Amino acid sequence: MSQPPAKHLDAVFSPASVAVVGATRTVGTVPHDIFQNILEAGYQGVVYPVSPRSPSISGVKAYKYVVDIPDPVDLAVIVFPSSVCHLAMEQCGQKGVKAAVVISAGFREVGGAGLEREAQLKEIAARHGISIVGPNCLGAINTDPTVRLNASFARKMPAQGSIAFLSQSGALCTAVLDYARGKHIGFSKFISFGNKADVSEVDLFYYLARDEATRVILVYLEEVRDGEALLRAARSVIRETGKPILAIKSGRTSAGASAAASHTGSLAGSDEVCDAVFRQAGIVRCSTIEDMFNRAIALAYQPRPRTNRVAIVTNAGGPGVMAADACADQGLELAGFSEQTAELLKDKLPATANLKNPVDVIGDARSDRYRAALGACLADPAVAGAMVILTPQSMTDIDAIAAEVVRTAGACPQKPVYASFMGEADVASGIDLLQRAHIPHYILPESMSVAFSTAYLFGESLKVGPAPVPRFEDVDRAVVEEALAKASAAGQLYLPEVEATRVLAAYGIPVLPARVAATAAEAAAAAAEVGFPVAMKVYSPDVVHKLDAGGVMLNVQDERAAAEAFDRIISAVSEAAPGAQVKGVNVQRMAPAGREVILGVKRDPAFGPVAMFGLGGTFVEVFRDVAFRAVPLDVEDVQGMVREVRSYPILAGVRGGPAYDVAMIEQCIERLGQLALDFPQIAELDVNPVIVLEAGRGAVAADARIGLAPEGA
Amino acid sequence: MDKQEIEKRVRETIARVLEIEDSEISSGSNFVFDLGADSRQSVELVAAFEEEFDIEMDEDEALAVQSVGDAVDFIAGIVNG
Repeated sequence: MSQPPAKHLDAVFSPASVAVVGATRTVGTVPHDIFQNILEAGYQGVVYPVSPRSPSISGVKAYKYVVDIPDPVDLAVIVFPSSVCHLAMEQCGQKGVKAAVVISAGFREVGGAGLEREAQLKEIAARHGISIVGPNCLGAINTDPTVRLNASFARKMPAQGSIAFLSQSGALCTAVLDYARGKHIGFSKFISFGNKADVSEVDLFYYLARDEATRVILVYLEEVRDGEALLRAARSVIRETGKPILAIKSGRTSAGASAAASHTGSLAGSDEVCDAVFRQAGIVRCSTIEDMFNRAIALAYQPRPRTNRVAIVTNAGGPGVMAADACADQGLELAGFSEQTAELLKDKLPATANLKNPVDVIGDARSDRYRAALGACLADPAVAGAMVILTPQSMTDIDAIAAEVVRTAGACPQKPVYASFMGEADVASGIDLLQRAHIPHYILPESMSVAFSTAYLFGESLKVGPAPVPRFEDVDRAVVEEALAKASAAGQLYLPEVEATRVLAAYGIPVLPARVAATAAEAAAAAAEVGFPVAMKVYSPDVVHKLDAGGVMLNVQDERAAAEAFDRIISAVSEAAPGAQVKGVNVQRMAPAGREVILGVKRDPAFGPVAMFGLGGTFVEVFRDVAFRAVPLDVEDVQGMVREVRSYPILAGVRGGPAYDVAMIEQCIERLGQLALDFPQIAELDVNPVIVLEAGRGAVAADARIGLAPEGA
Repeated sequence: MDKQEIEKRVRETIARVLEIEDSEISSGSNFVFDLGADSRQSVELVAAFEEEFDIEMDEDEALAVQSVGDAVDFIAGIVNG
């Protein structure tokens, strides 16, 4: 795993000794409660309160300064006000502390002087080699019985479990802990990393990859600062350890994207890009905390289904059908039972029962029928896992059925069993029983099918190894370097079509033959040379939207018409954009008939270069039917993004229509990705449209625009 | 008022409000980090200085003063200013 320099996260989660720096005796304050929480959780190491005034706190001898502590200190939990945290950090450095959790607020998040305070804190910590968690965070928890550290101001130590939860928000953590406690969900590690002055989600991913107690990683993010590192870390952790990462990224709305100059820029809002990159990394993006835990418990508690074929056992027809619909929505299939299973069900269930999937054990079913039906389903080789649905009817022995589900699932540990005991009050004790036994429980069958599908798809994704990133050698970097240098020298922020087309051609993307004409006579000659009919477009570094300025004429049929078109374009542009520098008219062979697609690259502030693909026209403009992937692109990224758009069947050939040259589109995207990687000064790039011909006949770029990053950006 | 007199009265006020010995106070002592003043005591200290020296201090500016020596300079600036 290639990863950033290791932080002292062992000292954060499993310190041999902890100092609470700035502790007080005032009950109900963070500096008091954190110390008290460490004591009450039964911390297995040694804890020292550091308090300028109190000789002892909660009966434990306190030290005026951290440097006064006679023994080594692994972790400092700093709870002083922000104005003096730097003094505490300096002493931590002198003491040889390895890591500091800075709980205090009043840093980067408040701006102004807070930014300076955070920079000062980082500088001191870096000088002494101290890893910082926070500032502005809730703290860290490790439920490992050999550690039992609750260095946080969460009210209670959570139960031990196999889920790690990382959060940028501290307050959310307390709500999550309370939610999880109510559902008997335990944690391996729990940490809020606040302002990420030093330790970030990326460091924590690598740490948790090695943490044997953690099976599933959950993360709540408000801001992605280094998306490329996040993508690398998530990908390698998931692929190399098989631990799923589930994420909530808040801030889904994106202001400012619409102001972007290119199609790619305006379509690639930060949330769309984040969504795509998370998927590319294998991260399961969740919409809510409930959604996240619904999926997490399936992944943490139960084996992953081997196939997408599920059995449903229900005591009510309606919910069974709802569950079947929900499964279909999630791409799951109802397993067809073997003859043996059918016989077993027939033998054990009443004549009125539905013996096909979903198996309806009928409303008066008691635990024996559930046991028989669930047992028979799980024994069937065609069934990958089971969903048990219960509605509380007067004769339903809810707790006994819950116990039977637990027992039957336990007897078949290689297949997952989930349950939905529908209702609230009557089913509460049954649900409690299921949750304590780690049978994932869902209020609604819809959430249950989402969880099943997540677990199945995650398992499938692990079967696919890393795909190669294609590298084309038939490119001419010098042409691109020259075009970019010329534009940069002229202070241009975008390359006009003529230069942009040259750049594309240099990277092996098929372009239409074209010549620049400075006079009407040259235009006529150029048109004859490239071949009729031609498209004629104004060539000016100052005119970005050529069509709006009257600078485009299409389907020009002969030399006389080409000369006339030249004059009309020059005159229209000089009227629409009087100050524009016009270098002539670009005479280009008309694009052949085909399907229009748009390709693009945008440099995202968090994720770096991101490629875009979509079908042209309405699909892009109205439906925003586009797909993104972060560069570098492997062959599966490219195949995935082309097939991800809803309009893909049009390219593949629908209702007798032709199939288009998808392979050439994919190659063009791969080449654009290489171009974006080779030339970081390209800020955004649109190839719109690319005309795609029928399968095997290629594609050709009909127009292109390349935006450059301002100098120093 | 001369600086020595101001310092003497500042130290007495600090010792009284924070309930500590004068010997624990030095010119470089940070109110929070060394003397353990919490936010309530910091506000009380500002009020006590105002009463001791019969002055009015801008609360935000006064609370930004971190050490005993700086407090002496700050108060001297007002008293003698």
